[in-house]
Amino acid sequence: MIDFVNVKKAYPNGTMALKGIDLHIDEGEFVFVCGPSGAGKSTLMKLLLREERISSGKLTVGEYDLSELSNVRVPYYRRELGVVFQDFRLFPKKTVFENVAFAMEVVGTPKSLIARRVPAILNTVNLNGKQDSFPNEISGGEQQRVALARALANNPKVIIADEPTGNIDPKMSLEIMSLLIKINKLGKTVIVVTHEKDLVDYYKQRVVMLDNGLIVEDRVGGMFNAQV
Amino acid sequence: MRRYNPFYFIGQAFEGLFRNGVMSFASIAVLTSLLVVIGGFTLLVTNIDVNLDEFGLINQIVVFCDPNASDEQIATIGEAIGKLDNIESVQHVTKEEGLEQMKAEYDIYDDVDEANNPLPDSFVITYLENEKVPNLDYQLNQIEGIAKVNNRLDLATKIEGFKRGVMLVFVWFLVILGVVSIFIIINTIKLSVFSRRNEISIMQYVGATGWFISLPYIIEGAVIGIVSSVAAYFIEWYIYSYIEEMVITDLQMISILQFTDIRGYVFWGFVGLGIITGVLGSIISLARYLRQ
Ligand SMILES: Nc1ncnc2c1ncn2[C@@H]1O[C@H](COP(=O)(O)OP(=O)(O)O)[C@@H](O)[C@H]1O
Ligand SMILES: [Mg+2]
Repeated sequence: MIDFVNVKKAYPNGTMALKGIDLHIDEGEFVFVCGPSGAGKSTLMKLLLREERISSGKLTVGEYDLSELSNVRVPYYRRELGVVFQDFRLFPKKTVFENVAFAMEVVGTPKSLIARRVPAILNTVNLNGKQDSFPNEISGGEQQRVALARALANNPKVIIADEPTGNIDPKMSLEIMSLLIKINKLGKTVIVVTHEKDLVDYYKQRVVMLDNGLIVEDRVGGMFNAQV
Repeated sequence: MRRYNPFYFIGQAFEGLFRNGVMSFASIAVLTSLLVVIGGFTLLVTNIDVNLDEFGLINQIVVFCDPNASDEQIATIGEAIGKLDNIESVQHVTKEEGLEQMKAEYDIYDDVDEANNPLPDSFVITYLENEKVPNLDYQLNQIEGIAKVNNRLDLATKIEGFKRGVMLVFVWFLVILGVVSIFIIINTIKLSVFSRRNEISIMQYVGATGWFISLPYIIEGAVIGIVSSVAAYFIEWYIYSYIEEMVITDLQMISILQFTDIRGYVFWGFVGLGIITGVLGSIISLARYLRQ
C-alpha cells in the first residue's frame, strides 16, 4: 500500500530532514511513528500528504507514485487520505455537522448523501448529539473527534494523524487513540505520530522509531524504545 | 456523481467582499474611474469621427467643373481624374443631384429649379493618403474644365491631429488607470485569500481542487467588475447628457450622438471590460492555487 524506498528529504534551507527511509506499510495496518522532536516524523507525514515533495528515492501510495504526481492530480490523491492534526483545524464558524459536511461538499458529494452520511460518521466517533454545536462549545477531545470524523468523511483508505493527542488531556487521549484503533479495525490503514509512551505501549501495535532522519527501529508489539 | 452547490461560491464571494469592505470599495472606485475615462474618451473620438464624416472631411476632395462644360467634356474630366495617383474612388455628382442635395439640406433653395440651377457638375474624390494631397491638388488644377478644387486638407489635418492627441492622452490614461485598477484588485483579492488562508489549507487537505478553492475569488473579482461597470454607466450617462445638452444649445454646428442611441454599447462595453478586469485581477492573485 505505502512504500518508501530510500526516500530522502532536504528542505530548501539545506536541512536533511529524512536521510534514507525504507518503509513498507500494508493495507489495513496500524503504525505508530515515534521519535524525538526534530526526528523527521512530521516531514514523513508531509511527504505522504504530498504537502512536500521527496528529494530523492521513490514513494508510492496505492496506485499513486508521489514522485511523479502532477499538481493538478494532488487534490484527487488527497481524497484517498484523511488527515488529523494536533491543532484540530476546524472551521470555527461552522457547526460540527457542517465541518464534517464541508469535506464532502468540497469534493462535490450530493446533499442527500451528505445528510445521510454525516450522522453515521459522527456516530462512529461517538459524537451523536453534538452535531449542532460549534467548535468553541465542545472540549478539545471532542473537537479532535470532529476532525477525525472529517478525515473519515470521504471514506479514505488511509488515515494520517500527526500528534493527534498533543493538545488534549490524557483521558481524552485514550479515547482518541481507541477510536483510531477502531477505525483501523474497520479496514483503514492508520498511521499515527505520537509521543505518548504509555499509549504506544498499551496498544502493542507496530512501532516505527525515527531519529535524526533515519528509521532506528521498526517492530511490532509496542514497547516504546527507552533509549531514545 | 459530483454535484457542486453554486450558492456556496456566490455566498463565499460576497462574504469576502464585505469582510474587506474598504479594499473592495477602493477597487470599485478605481475601476469605476477607469471605465468612465475609457468611456469618455471613446465617446469623444466617436463623436469626432461622426462630425468628420458629416462634413465630408475624411479623405475627400470635391472638384467643380466649369459651369459651361458639355457632357462630353465632363466625361473626359471624370476619366482624367480616374487616371490620377492616390485615388480610391471618384463619384460624379450631376448638377441635378447637387441641387437635390442642397434642397434637402437647406429649405431656402426651394424656389430654385432645374431651369435656373446655378450649380455646376462636380466630382467627389476619395483619396488614399493625406501626404500626397498637395500633389493631387496640383494635378487636378491642371485638368482642363475644372473650375475649382475644394480641398479641405488643412481642416482635416487639424482635426486628425487633435484626434491623435486625444488618442495619445487616452492611451496613457488607459495604461495608468488599467495598471492601478488591476493592482488594487489583485491586492483586494489577496487580502481576501489571506484572511481565509486557514480555511483554504483545510480545503486543500480534504482534496478540494484549485478551481473549487479559487471560484469564490473569481466571482468576487467579477462582482467588483459588475458593480463598477454599473456605477460607471450611470456616471457616464450623467456627464454625457450634460455635455449633450450643452452642445445642442450652444454649439449647434457640431453634431453629437444621442446617449439613448448608444446606451447599449456603453453599458455592455462597461460590463464586459469590468468583468474582464476584475476576473483578470483575481486570476493573477490566485495563480498559486489554480496551478496547484
Ligand atoms: N519547512 C522546513 N524548512 C526547513 N527545515 C524544516 C522544515 N520543516 C522541518 N524542518 C526541519 O526538519 C527536521 C525534521 O522536522 P520534523 O519533520 O518537523 O520533525 P518532527 O515532526 O519529528 O519533530 C528538523 O530539523 C526541522 O527543523
Ligand atoms: Mg512534528
